[in-house]
Amino acid sequence: MLWREQYKIGVELVDKQHEELFRRLSAFIDVLRNSTPLEQKMDEIEKTFHFMGEYVQVHFQSEEDLQAKIGYPEFEKHRRIHDSFKQEINAFQEEFYKDKYNEDLIMAFSGRLLTWLINHVTGDDQNIAKYVPSGGVDIES
Amino acid sequence: MKADYTNPVYTASKDVFTNMLGWDIIKGDIQLVKEIHTHSKINISIGITGELRGTILFSFPEELVLEILEEMSRTKFAQVDQFAVFAVGELVKIISEKAINTFKGNGYQCESCPPQITMGDMQIFSAAMGKALWIALKTRGNAFDLFISMDENKKANHQ
Repeated sequence: MLWREQYKIGVELVDKQHEELFRRLSAFIDVLRNSTPLEQKMDEIEKTFHFMGEYVQVHFQSEEDLQAKIGYPEFEKHRRIHDSFKQEINAFQEEFYKDKYNEDLIMAFSGRLLTWLINHVTGDDQNIAKYVPSGGVDIES
Repeated sequence: MKADYTNPVYTASKDVFTNMLGWDIIKGDIQLVKEIHTHSKINISIGITGELRGTILFSFPEELVLEILEEMSRTKFAQVDQFAVFAVGELVKIISEKAINTFKGNGYQCESCPPQITMGDMQIFSAAMGKALWIALKTRGNAFDLFISMDENKKANHQ
């Protein structure tokens, strides 16, 4: 499990989403790197990429709603980071559906995804925590 | 080579290793070299273009790449595969982007190119600017190398 308590930013919804992303990524790395032939685990790989593509959109929107609510001063910069990553995911998905059994492509994207996510959560997202009121904030209402 | 070009890269490396892995980096010998002779198998370089131009190159031993991956993924890695190489390539990209933010803050508009990965012992690369600063680094007992070859791009500055 990749998740660490120290990654929490003090907003329940965002923390839960981060934990879920890490949980899914962790399980995915195990599937990806086991010795099962690619063909036999393609369903799982496809499901995870689909989930990641959808969930990242939902999660990024939650983070942006939070930032708008607390008046986060680096909102625009953070949104550009999200937009750029969403574009990368879209570009990858396009390539992936053209050539699903290209193991190099899958490995390359997954490796980058792991590092990107850890850097984003330990760096960019921790900066948001500095602006979260001590009593927390409800972004769902 | 100006410290303005080299210090941001070293500082960014230290910050990224601390934030993402919780590891400290210790600086060892520093030398100015005319050619880049790598000492380790996994070599990841990133080109810089704009008002500053040149190359940042990290040379990592396989053992260190495996340790980095194990720390990030909490999974045991027996060998360096595509997944591992691209994950560490992204780490180098993050370091370069942090350094570029500092360059921009210092008035140099520049961008990074995608990471280039070369695997093999004792590789020789020509220094982009005719010379490179070689910084020997160590983390958790593993030695690795950082080479920085960078200079002002006078053409870009005068446009």
